[in-house]
Order: sequence, then C-alpha cells, then structure tokens
Amino acid sequence: MIYLDHAATTPLDPAVFEAMLPFLKPGGVHGNPASDHLEGKRARDAVEQARGQVARLIGAEPGEIVWTSGATESDNLAIKGAFDFYKERGRHIVTSMTEHKAVLDTCRHLETQGAKVTYLKPGTDGRVSPEQVLAALTPETVLVSLMWVNNETGVIQDIAALAPALRAKSVLFHVDAAQAAGKVAIDLRAVPVDLMSLSAHKIYGPKGMGALFVRKRPRARLAPQLHGGGHEQGMRSGTLPTHQIVGMGTAFQVAGERLAVDHERLGTLRDRLLERLRALPQIFVNGEAAPRVAGVLNVSFAGVEGESLRASLPELAGSSGSACSSGTGESSYVLRALGRDDDLANASLRFSLGRTTAAEEIDTAAAQVVNQVRRLRALSPLWRETA
Amino acid sequence: MIYLDHNATTPLDARVLEVMLPFLNGPYANPSSQHRPGRAARDAVEAARAQVAALVGADPGEVTFTSGGTEANNFAIKGIAAAAKRGRLLYSGVEHPCVLEPMRALAAQGWKVETIAVDGEGRVDAAAYARQLTGGDVRLVSCMVANNETGVIQDVAALATQARKAGAPGTTVFHADAVQAAGKIPLSFPDSGAHLMSLSSHKIYGPKGAGALIADRGVALEPLLHGGGQEKNLRGGTENVAAIVGFGVAAELALAELDLRRERAQRLRDRLQARLAGLPGLTLFGARAPRVPNTLQFAVAGVHSATLLGLLDKQGFAVSSGSACASGTDEPSHVLLAMGVPAELALCAIRVSLGKDNTEDDVDRFAAALRELLAGLGAAMPGMMRTAT
Amino acid sequence: MNPFGYSEPVWRLFTEPPRAGALEGARVLKGVASTPANRNRLELWVRLNGEVIEDARFQAFGCPATIAVGGWLCERAIGSTLADLATIRGREIRQALEIPEDRLHCALLGEDAIKSLAPT
Repeated sequence: MIYLDHAATTPLDPAVFEAMLPFLKPGGVHGNPASDHLEGKRARDAVEQARGQVARLIGAEPGEIVWTSGATESDNLAIKGAFDFYKERGRHIVTSMTEHKAVLDTCRHLETQGAKVTYLKPGTDGRVSPEQVLAALTPETVLVSLMWVNNETGVIQDIAALAPALRAKSVLFHVDAAQAAGKVAIDLRAVPVDLMSLSAHKIYGPKGMGALFVRKRPRARLAPQLHGGGHEQGMRSGTLPTHQIVGMGTAFQVAGERLAVDHERLGTLRDRLLERLRALPQIFVNGEAAPRVAGVLNVSFAGVEGESLRASLPELAGSSGSACSSGTGESSYVLRALGRDDDLANASLRFSLGRTTAAEEIDTAAAQVVNQVRRLRALSPLWRETA
Repeated sequence: MIYLDHNATTPLDARVLEVMLPFLNGPYANPSSQHRPGRAARDAVEAARAQVAALVGADPGEVTFTSGGTEANNFAIKGIAAAAKRGRLLYSGVEHPCVLEPMRALAAQGWKVETIAVDGEGRVDAAAYARQLTGGDVRLVSCMVANNETGVIQDVAALATQARKAGAPGTTVFHADAVQAAGKIPLSFPDSGAHLMSLSSHKIYGPKGAGALIADRGVALEPLLHGGGQEKNLRGGTENVAAIVGFGVAAELALAELDLRRERAQRLRDRLQARLAGLPGLTLFGARAPRVPNTLQFAVAGVHSATLLGLLDKQGFAVSSGSACASGTDEPSHVLLAMGVPAELALCAIRVSLGKDNTEDDVDRFAAALRELLAGLGAAMPGMMRTAT
Repeated sequence: MNPFGYSEPVWRLFTEPPRAGALEGARVLKGVASTPANRNRLELWVRLNGEVIEDARFQAFGCPATIAVGGWLCERAIGSTLADLATIRGREIRQALEIPEDRLHCALLGEDAIKSLAPT
C-alpha cells in the first residue's frame, strides 16, 4: 500500500508520539488541567507550553490560541461565533465555493438563521482575487471566510494581500489554515487575519485536536459555541485533552523546524510524479496556474470514469477530492467550481505527499496510474471517440 | 501522590493504552477515506461504537461520538432546541455547568428556561417537578443520573416516565447526563426512559477527548458541528480514532468490572466515612440519598476549601472542592446552594472521589492527614478559620 | 485485492475484463445503452453465424459494475441465439453479478444494450 493521502490525515511524527506518551502511560501525568492540585498543574503546564508552540509557528501570542477538537470545530466556532456576536451589526458573510465542508455547511446552516452568504466562484486557477472579495462586500458584511490552502488542489490563496484591505474596512477575516499551517510560512504579526482555524492531524499531530486563533489586538469577539465550565477564556468549554494538546504543540514545533526542508523535498517528489504521469496524454493538473503547496497534486484524467479509476488502484491510498465527501459518489464540487466538467471532476486523483513518502513509491504509484488509465481508456467508448 | 479526584478525571487504564497505541504510532488513515487503511480506521470506530453502546445497553446506531461530555451535553440541549418549537426547558438545579450554560444561552435566545428544585440531599423535588410538567409546552427535561460533586443519584427512570406522560406523545424529550454515573453504577439507556444520554471517556479510565451522545432515533436532533457529514450527518469533523478506540475499550472494561469496582469503591468510601466520623464541624453532603459508591463530599465548618486543599496538595493528596471546571473561582458550589447548604459552609466543601486503583492505605493516610491538618489549623487559629484566598 | 467491497464476480470481470473491444463486418450487430444522469455507457457488439452468436465484444465507460456487465454479457452471448439473449433482464444480470440493489441501473444498462442491438 502506497499512502499518498497526507492531506486527509498524516501519521504521528515520532517526536509527537514520544511527547504524548508521558500523558498516557501508567505513572504519567493524568490530571485534569483544570484541577487546582499539583497533578492538575502538571497537566496545565504542559497545555500552556503547547499553546506557546502552536502560537510560535504562526506568529501569534499564546493567549490568542483557543483549543478545539479539530479544524471543523474551529471553523464552526469562528463562523457561528462571529455571526452570533456581530449579527446586530450585519448579517452578510462572504466566502468561496471551494471552501471545506466545515465552512460551507456552517454557512448554509447560518442561512437558516438569517445570514446572507455570498459564495464567490474562483477563477479556473482556483484563486479568489482580493478585488473579487472586496467587490462582494456590502455595508452588512461582518465576516469573510477563506481558506489559506485548498484541501483538494493545494492552491494557495493570497491571504496576505487581502487581509489589510479587510482590516481597513473593519470586516472580520477568518482563514481556514488547516492545510496551510506548517506548509506555508504564516506570520500573523504581519498579516492582519482575525480568526484562523488550525488542525493537528494534517501536520503529523493527533486526530481530535485543533485550535482557533482569536486575535487580541484588535480584539476579535466571538459568542462561544460549546458552553460549560468556562475553559479557554470562556470561548470553548470542555476538559482539555492534555496528551492531544501536547501532541499538537510538538507537531507545530517540528513543522516549524522542517518547513523549508519539507517544502523542498515534497516539491521535488511532486514534480517527479507529474513528470511520470505526463506519459499519458489528456491529463489536466487542477489549479496548475496558481501557486500551490508542495505536497499536493490533483490531476484529472480524460476518458475514464472516476470510480473505476480508483477501484483500479487498490494499492494506492490516494483520494478523489476531499476524504470527507469521498463516500458520496458525487464529483468534487471544488473541481467543478474551477470549471471542470462532471466527467473530469469525477475522474480526478489527489496525490498528497508526506514526510515519509519515498521516491520509489512515487515511481511505483505513477506506473500503476499510467497502466490503469491506459487499461480503462482502452475499454472506454468515450476515449475512443475523443482519440 | 495519592490521587483522590477521579470525578475530575481518571488515569488512562494501561489496558486501554495498549489498544490505542497502534492507532497512534501504527497505521493511520482518515476513517472517511475510501481506501483500505481508511476502511480499517472506520471498522475500529464501529467496533468502539458497539462497545460504548453495550455499556448502557443501547443500539450502536444510537451512539454519536463527540469530543467529550461537554460537547455531548451541548449537542443534546441545543440539538433538541434547534429542532423543536419554542417552549419550556427544564433542568435540575444541580446540573453540571455544561448543562446550565447551554440552558442560559438558550434563555438569552428567548427560550423559557426553568430550574427544577432539589431537596436537601440534592434529589429532584418530585412534587415541584410534577407541577412544572403540568404547565405544558415542555420540550426538554435535562437531569443528570449522578452528581459530579455529591455523587447523589437521581431517580431518572421515574422522572423520565413523568416527562413522557406529561405532554403529547413525543413532544417532551428527556436528557440524562450520565457522565458521572457510567462505570460506577449499572446503566441502561432503554430502561432509563431517557431519549438522550451523555457519556464521557475520561471519567471511566479512557482517554480525554472522546465522549458520546446516545440518542433515540425517533428524536429530532440538529447537529452542533456542521461539515463533512461524519456520524451520519450528526457531527462533523474527522473522527478521533485513537481516542474513540480507547473509549470503546474503557467502556468494555467498565462493564466487565462494574461489580468489582463498585464493591471496592463502596468499601473504601465506607471506610473513609468511618475514619472521618466525629470530626468537629463535619457535614456530609447527600449522604442520606443514594450515591455513586466512589464519591464523598463533606465540609468542615470554618475551614475554607482552598486552605485545606492547598495543604493537602502539599502533602501529596489530590482532592477537589467539587467540579474541576469551576476551579479557580472562589464562589460556593451552585449544587450545594441548590441543596440549601449555607454559602459559608459550601465554601468549605471537599470532594473525595475514589478510583479503581485506590487502596485502603490511601484512604487511611488521607483520613489521618486530614485529621492532623485540622488539628494543626485548630491550634493555630482557634475559632472561625475562614481564610481569604 | 478487492478492498472496495465489490462482489466477487464484478471484481473478477472488472480487473480482467473478457472480450473488451469492438467488432466489424456484415454479420455484426451493435447495441448502445447509456444513463444520461451519470453518463455511464455500454456498447455491445455481436457477430452472428446463422442464428447463433459466434463472437461478442464490449466497451464501457462507467463504474466497475458497468464494466463487469459488459464482460458478462459477451460471455453469456456467445453460443446463444439473439432470441435467447433478448430474454435477459436486468434483474438476472444483477443476480448473476451480485450487484447491490442500489446499482441496479448498471444491470439495466446490459438489458438496454441487448434491446438496442441492430445491424451496424
């Protein structure tokens, strides 16, 4: 099995696993970080250290990091929280058609609660231009939500160009950076984003862990979405899972140390993969014209059907579109928004490479894909007609 | 260190960790992925779902995994409210903050939210409750099975039956927060009469970061976390596979060892209670009501909890005043106040919550240390010893 | 090797499809069926020797079940008569290939392809 699905989830980095163990194993630190006693304090200290590690990677203050159960919860908290808090000021939200389901489903939910949402259509390169966003603003706009890096195509949005313009207009800016943190350099001291969603398991940390950056100056306000004991400055209640938090902190620290190295290595591997796939005619790289993160390559194959393509590659763990929706049998809404027709959107594979991906795996995977696409094309009346 | 704060959280069982390890440092995949490792992760989640269901005699299809008890309670309460017509919401006065606060949030949105009174032992006042139900339009009743501070057990089956009879069929939903009861007393979701039941992993020697809401499929419930379509569209977000697997094993062990753990906790608690008997100024809370066997909450009049907890901590005893969540505030417990305990006495509350690995020696040493500390405090500060913190 | 839960016959006929290709000539009939919604397409060729089908070929664009239906039909067709072939219904194909009920449309594609057989 060749695992080229690192945008869906990544293995724990060995250093992350090692850091988590003392909070799991017998005799380790098992206290509730909210407890006053020494056992609680030991857990709390570990939580705060991790908060610093996460903050450091993105140029934030530790006090601006709110722990959540993952990027989906972060997106929910940011968007619903901001809407609930600011809805008396205005009820208009601007986002794009290629956002993650966690953002889109949340926006659709808010539409039932009186929100007006504009879903911007990106260009064929997958990018939403700052001008497009600014043109969509109305006096009612309270929030713009865009992802830094798209999970399916790896396309990088120009967040740094847009953020100052939104700040100037006092519109809150939420960025889903689940696929960006640790892959592109992020410095929130220089980029005036107000809210930013982070995930641990996309960057070699544990599943079930995420964070929301909530800017202190100027202060972004949120209505909490999980009510209870008042943890996390009242913004998110619930017992903190110490081992997972420690894992996320370590993962972010490692990601910071490896950012340049990973970028270089994954970029080389990705180019190698594409070069080998080019043995096939009529393949299309999705988001090709835009800057993309190094580890992601999304390709559409003309003349073959998507499900058969995936079934032909049982030894390749890749993905067609986002894992969250891959069970539905629908073609990727992201690729369709980029202008791909249903057939091409359906016959696409996302290869997402990771730290443990070896060059030989790339070669083997490419050879399998080339062979199977050729085989299916030979069976395909549609391919015969186009040829 | 002697850890006597198991209602705040429990240490991870080594047997649970063993089962979790392959999901931490072994094969990895997103359970939503269609490839083989994805399917393996999904199978593991489903096995855990069956284990958690079995703990409360539920059907696996009734289990939705969450990030913990707080999310489960928020999900239950807001999920019902979002799907129901405006009406009244009832909750007992001794509920956990993660029931109280969602209720308050709904009150701010215009729901009519009412507290159900409890008696001096912390049990729901049945007559008052019956009167509230006759008022009509009750959409939801939320009552915990066992209290986190006192350990007092509510007669949920009777309360739920009353609720079901009160309104038109299917209009009143009953939610039981069973976070502190699971693993301590036998629990049956079908027999409880509740439509919804919240569970937490880290209170039963499972990992932090996992919980579940058990929901009768006939109940209309809106999701709390949107996006991704996981958990049959009831809870978005990539499943926390390792924690869910750990929760499953912890639930299985809790069920298998329930009698053992109960008897042991009961014996130790009785022993502790006997060791404390006769302390000057001692009040036991909820001691005349049925309690989960591991919990003993008491106060020594005039000795502020913060003082005593600090001293006990220095001697290596991890105990609490009550709810870990409320720690850091210097307010008397709302649970004790609801029971009619004077604020001054409530500020002196100490909760000992025993675990499956505590020993007679732990209990004896704690009782001895407490007696010694109190004697010292008494000598140093005769009369009232309330300390500001 | 079949991690996606396809039935054994579907998997076998999908991974090693028998009789993929096309036929030409005077005694060749061709049938085409497609589903507009998801654009699955099945094309079937048979060559007659008198009453009897002596060769059959198919091409398919679609899910593995669709491809399997094509291969299965070709094998089923050879040696039988057109009249015999015309009695085949989607349900029979579905049962033979153990195609789940929600994929019945793939089997019906086979039935439709037979019905549309006509001289090329």
